[in-house]
Amino acid sequence: MNTFYMAAKNLKKKFSFYSLYLVSVAFVITVYFSFASFSSNAVILEKISEDGRVETMCRTIAVFLMIFVIFYMSYSNRFFLRRRTKELGIYTLLGYRKSTILSLLTFENIFVCGGAFIVGIILGGLVHKGLVCGINMLLDLSINSQAIPFWNWDAVRRTLLFISAVVIVLMISNGRFLYRTSLMSLVRYEKSTERKMKFHKVPSILGIFMVLGGYALALDIIRGEASVWVKIGFYQMGLLTMMLVVTGTVLFIASFLPYIMEKSKKRKASFYTKDKIITIPSFIYRIRSNAKTLIMLTLLSAAALTVSSVMALTLYYPIAAVQRIAPSEIEFRVEKEEQVDEVKQIVEKELPDTKGVSFTRTDLYKVCSSSKNLPPEYSLGAAQNDTAGGESLREPGFECMSFASYQALLNAQGRTNISSGLTALSDKECILIKYQAAQGDEHLDRVDSGRANRYSLMLDGTKVLVTVRETSLNNVISFANSIGTLVVSDQLYEQISSGTSPVTHVFSINGEAVINNEALYDKISVYLDASPYLQGNSHRINELLHLNSSTFLLIGFLVVLFFIAAGSILYFNNLSSVMDSRADYEILKKLGYRKKTIKRLIRKQILVFFSIPFLLGLLDCMFAALIYKTGLMQNILENSLLLYLPVFIAVGITAGIYLIYYLVTVRSCDKILFRADRV
Amino acid sequence: MHTVLQVKDVTKIYKKGQKPSLHKVSFQVCEGEFIGIMGASGSGKTTLLNVLSTIDKPTGGDVYLNNINLKSLTDTQAADFRRDHLGFIFQEYFLLDSLTIRENISVPLTLKKLPPDQIETMVTDLAKRFGIASQLEKYPNELSGGQRQRVSAARAIVKHPGLLFADEPTGALDSSSATELLEALKEANSVLNTTILMVTHDPYAASFASRIFLFKDGCIFRELHREKADRRRFYEQIVDEVAELDMDR
Repeated sequence: MNTFYMAAKNLKKKFSFYSLYLVSVAFVITVYFSFASFSSNAVILEKISEDGRVETMCRTIAVFLMIFVIFYMSYSNRFFLRRRTKELGIYTLLGYRKSTILSLLTFENIFVCGGAFIVGIILGGLVHKGLVCGINMLLDLSINSQAIPFWNWDAVRRTLLFISAVVIVLMISNGRFLYRTSLMSLVRYEKSTERKMKFHKVPSILGIFMVLGGYALALDIIRGEASVWVKIGFYQMGLLTMMLVVTGTVLFIASFLPYIMEKSKKRKASFYTKDKIITIPSFIYRIRSNAKTLIMLTLLSAAALTVSSVMALTLYYPIAAVQRIAPSEIEFRVEKEEQVDEVKQIVEKELPDTKGVSFTRTDLYKVCSSSKNLPPEYSLGAAQNDTAGGESLREPGFECMSFASYQALLNAQGRTNISSGLTALSDKECILIKYQAAQGDEHLDRVDSGRANRYSLMLDGTKVLVTVRETSLNNVISFANSIGTLVVSDQLYEQISSGTSPVTHVFSINGEAVINNEALYDKISVYLDASPYLQGNSHRINELLHLNSSTFLLIGFLVVLFFIAAGSILYFNNLSSVMDSRADYEILKKLGYRKKTIKRLIRKQILVFFSIPFLLGLLDCMFAALIYKTGLMQNILENSLLLYLPVFIAVGITAGIYLIYYLVTVRSCDKILFRADRV
Repeated sequence: MHTVLQVKDVTKIYKKGQKPSLHKVSFQVCEGEFIGIMGASGSGKTTLLNVLSTIDKPTGGDVYLNNINLKSLTDTQAADFRRDHLGFIFQEYFLLDSLTIRENISVPLTLKKLPPDQIETMVTDLAKRFGIASQLEKYPNELSGGQRQRVSAARAIVKHPGLLFADEPTGALDSSSATELLEALKEANSVLNTTILMVTHDPYAASFASRIFLFKDGCIFRELHREKADRRRFYEQIVDEVAELDMDR
């Protein structure tokens, strides 16, 4: 029988054994092919990429994807090779040459990868179609989905070439293994026992201290100006923190965890129980050979979780911030009086029913102050170098609006809960609208803190002292039209408006009917000659979605692929370990361990191996997200846990993926141990 | 002496239409007896051991262990029964590689939920008796075959089982290690009054028993009693019987 038929027969006979390999490779090829199809899809790229940014990103991500696929396939190939070394040893004993065995393995790989390729391009085609439809709907790209072929032949060709290259890499790797392993080692390979290792105190303690040190440094960033991140420098501290956490994680897994377990054996009362006397030594035993895999999975898990969380933050935060950047559905600065009526006409023409639509005109008076303790908002954007052209964006000063207008706009914007919570301002009180959320001790400048700020407003040469009753992030005018907004009492506003302070008129349109009405926005934009003072809430959100979603999607490919690889590696690793210790579980059965107890032992052991990369990765991700959010993102929203919602969602999805893999692994391990027809 | 084990017409057929592996086997074992089970490969020795130790179920007949009919036990009850009443020694030692010798011997006691201090004392005492006290903190792969088998025996005996099953316990040992193990089993039998059922091919190992069942084609072909004969004489008797059995094949 030639090797080709032998390989085919092997696959047929041990289909359940190979199906694991086939499914996981097909999974990876599906992701790869859908990505390749997406990046070769000229129709969609033309729509979402204006400056070649997406194409560049595709090329970069393709490199990462390839590395992942090669790494993952090498890992699973090695796993299956290890399970078959004894069989290969017998072939050698029977007189098969190593070259014949290598060709047998290569044929098997060609069959498996060929099958996986077919499955992968069918599923990948479906995923690609789904993605295109999803993006089309989300971004309203008006692409005719029928025009996009199910199979992009360029992507098929690229995937085929890549998979062929992977098969060659696997052949080289298998060849190296076969030629370097002696016949004796081949026969005994599966039975080789773990090396005995001693776990030392110093690296263990060092590991935990380094990790904790890294986290402490990360936490320090919330001290703001006083933190070392500001004093020493963001990048230096970032590098140091990363180094501490990475080195710490390596030592934590390789030394600290087994050391602690070893120590826990000394606590006799808890150790001499039917579960722990098996699980603790078994963990110490397994960590010897699996430390490297666990470290790698933990670091990759941390990286993938961080990347997905940061991406989610990057997409979500600006959208959440639109509420502040453009609080009204449509808002513009009135530069000519007739603009108000013209725009109203456009609205009436565009909307069949203008019921519920509100038009609000707000007059903002620019007032200067002679106080020394002025807030940064007073002069924000007023410096000469704030723009590329060297001209300033605005004159320094407070833009005063009346309390009545403030409330009216809040109501028009549907923020009635804020409006109803406000108490009227007394004559010389005001509300300062902050640009950024309070930092350091800024939150103290309120009346109730006893350290309220007072500003002297210059009204036609007269000084009027106003007290900041509260600071607020609830601006009703976009930042394009007002930054240093001061909400003053209606009496004071009357006094200001009767003077000669310069005034700006802002016109806001709100109401259900104008929400997400891009056509109306476009008409107004054309009429106002694309004025930079025209702002729209829904329009801005759509713009952000359009800009970021492609990036998000592409990074998503990487992250999904990573989780498939990590989950599958954990799956194979645990399966392999259970297969190796099948005899141990037989002994336990004979010693009187119930089936239920053995199942619980297996679950616990698998859970430990799934939890380490997930929990450590999660901790790393939480601190990294905190650093990113605090150090690299503008802080114009009130600090609340809600801002971390996308991080929680990303973590939740990851936890879900890990949980599914965990359950599948437990099920497969139970099958191996408790089913008659074993693999 | 009361009867520990009662086997009544036990039959085991693995596949319909095939010759039974055990055919209507009946015997009784009293407390404190050391029983040897001998026979050629395929004669039904190991099948009998599996059926008696609740690992396998007979096709017909009944097995009573301490007056409990093993047929009536569910899987969980069988596991509890093994935990409380039975001990095992195997040819391949079957030690848990990830556990130290002390932990290996402690496992049956933790299953019985004994206090840790008592576990440690019992393990240390037995290890001294089996000559493995200095190996307690080592791992199985650091021990010789003989030492490993003594650990396996210690693990089986430490919980004072009502019945100890040994399946070819000397099969993988050199002669001196085999003698050491058999002496240890004999001591456990006489000092701790442990009832032992040992399957073996080796007439020398069988000579340590007080009674021997010779198996052929799933049935007890002959039963030998040592009674007052010394071990050498009993050994010769066994060799003769085995030779006769072999010639009749």
